[in-house]
Amino acid sequence: MSGEPVIVAEHLSRRFGALWAVRDVSLTVQRGEIFGVLGPNGAGKSTTIRMLCGILDPSGGKGTVVGFDVATQSERIKQSIGYMTQRFSLYEDLSVEENLRFYASIYGLRGRARSERIESTLESSGLRDRRKQLAGTLSGGWKQRVALASSTIHRPPLLFLDEPTAGVDPVSRREFWDQIHRISGEGTTVLVTTHYMDEAERCHRLSFIFRGQLLAIGTPAEIVAQRGLHVLELQLPAADAERGESALRGLPGVEEISHFGSITRLAMRGNGDERAAVQRALSAQNITPSYLELTRANVEDAFVSMVRDDERTRDAERARAQSPGARA
Amino acid sequence: MTRLFAIAWKELLQLRRDRMTFGMMIGIPVMQLLLFGYAINSDVRHMPTVIYDQDRSAEARDLVRRLVVTGFYDVVAEVRDYDDIELAMRRGSASVALVIPTRFGESLRAGRPARAQLVVDGSDPQTVASATNTAVALAGARALELSALYQSARGQQPMLQPLTVEPTTWYNPELKTAIFVVPGLVGVILTMTMIMFTAMAVVRERERGTLEQLIVSPVGRVEMVIGKIAPYIAIGYVQMSLILLVGRLVFRVPLAGSLPLLYALASAFIAANLALGMVFSTIARTQQQAMQMSFFFLLPNILLSGFIFPFEGMPRPAQWLAQLLPLTHFHRVVRGITLKGASWADVRPEFLQLLVILLVLIAVSAARFRKKLG
Repeated sequence: MSGEPVIVAEHLSRRFGALWAVRDVSLTVQRGEIFGVLGPNGAGKSTTIRMLCGILDPSGGKGTVVGFDVATQSERIKQSIGYMTQRFSLYEDLSVEENLRFYASIYGLRGRARSERIESTLESSGLRDRRKQLAGTLSGGWKQRVALASSTIHRPPLLFLDEPTAGVDPVSRREFWDQIHRISGEGTTVLVTTHYMDEAERCHRLSFIFRGQLLAIGTPAEIVAQRGLHVLELQLPAADAERGESALRGLPGVEEISHFGSITRLAMRGNGDERAAVQRALSAQNITPSYLELTRANVEDAFVSMVRDDERTRDAERARAQSPGARA
Repeated sequence: MTRLFAIAWKELLQLRRDRMTFGMMIGIPVMQLLLFGYAINSDVRHMPTVIYDQDRSAEARDLVRRLVVTGFYDVVAEVRDYDDIELAMRRGSASVALVIPTRFGESLRAGRPARAQLVVDGSDPQTVASATNTAVALAGARALELSALYQSARGQQPMLQPLTVEPTTWYNPELKTAIFVVPGLVGVILTMTMIMFTAMAVVRERERGTLEQLIVSPVGRVEMVIGKIAPYIAIGYVQMSLILLVGRLVFRVPLAGSLPLLYALASAFIAANLALGMVFSTIARTQQQAMQMSFFFLLPNILLSGFIFPFEGMPRPAQWLAQLLPLTHFHRVVRGITLKGASWADVRPEFLQLLVILLVLIAVSAARFRKKLG
């Protein structure tokens, strides 16, 4: 990483009517990074990307992309970016090759240079055998490949991917991420939005957007570490599962209890003696877990915990606003 | 230019794949032409006719024969009185009756005025017009012929020249409505297809998300708009040629004026409709809405433009509204050139009004068709 910023957003905001879709988002993306933007559906990820691409004017704040202002120099930005939308914007009634040729021409490639670029792209994306196939008849994973090939046919220094893997099978998703890393390895900066947590961990750096606001930013490890979470996995005897769980729920610092088959996953915030605390709480109920292990907290744990925090803050604010004392 | 061609080429490729749309583009003009052309034509020609001949003279038979050979009247029966005529008309077995009074032949031979009566079923105004006009025109022509004959037979100087000119060629006494309908159809079909296909072509890209992809590309607004509509201009000309050709071959629609002039002036009309389609595309969210808007717009065009009802017969407010429609002006241009042989000077005022409408529409569509979202 050369430390050269490709995207700089400062207090970027966008309002649709009374609703703030994006509020006060500031972030910096360095050249060559794979930068992930995570968040649930409707959190403001697409709105942020559209503002950075220069196709949606910000209501407030400012942004610079590849050195140009998003509000006033959007046409300059468009020359240097690739953009793949959520819905694989392909012409379904054109063949794979015709789609590539169209997008190559749109970005000003012509003649021999265009033909060579199309050939090399077909080759590197593994699409050579399907060049004559109509895009509409391809499966989701293949469509996604063509869409990625189309949006990078002009070799942009910066690539925006807006939920590129939505609705794609796990194997294709994995292959797609290999492609992203290949493109990144060629020096392209990639900004990718997703709501798959496993994909988040494949990014160099991450940000988390929730309800239009940026809740965290950093490497996956930093984001996990910031939350100070300790995660325990345990297995309770089936007969005691319900009783045991309510005992665990009463422990201080419990953020989230989730289930993976017969394994119960317990995310807690504390100073490191959680394992002992859990054991004490269970033995007080005469329950002996058949399995109890401390495990690594992941990005998903961190984000769920952040969302819970956010919800608690909102609930508290609402309660304060409704209590009679608030008026005084 | 590379980009503009890329968009135009892509549009053509998509058209070729979209069999349905492609079929509609060729099918609609031909189907409408045949429907309108024949529907109106068959009403006018071969009207079932009954003859009430009270005279039974050679002159009476001669008049009937002359009417029959025009092809407008098919004699279905001879009747004995007016009650029979009424019956035939009520039953719909006849829409026209020719009544020849006694002494008809005698009067003609003597050079005195002879009158025959034409009874027409008034329930179909189209029939009335063609039945009466044809018979009146034919009788008038025959009268002139006879008066000249009689005068020369009596050794006097004929007051009129011998009739060598067929009266049918004068004011189109055959009442071939197709001649009026076909040039009008050029405008109607272009309005429908140009607006609908442009609006849908843009909305389809928005629906499928490809418009967003184009908006983030460096394609300019002008490149996008022109690249998008250029293929449709070409298709508009193909449709126009098709209508004129079929009109010529099937309905014998004359072309009195200059074809190049017509093609040149049609460009403004086609462009106006395309610009309007662009405006619609910025309003409609789905292809279905785009299609509905196009049809909604088409209706006043058909009713007010002079395609069906004569412009002069409409109330004032309707006339003002009609002046805003590109089709109203194009009708005058296309009918003027094809039927009356109008020159550039004759149609210039209409063309200039069309041009003003076009410029307004381009301004509106360019203003609305922004390269931004939201």
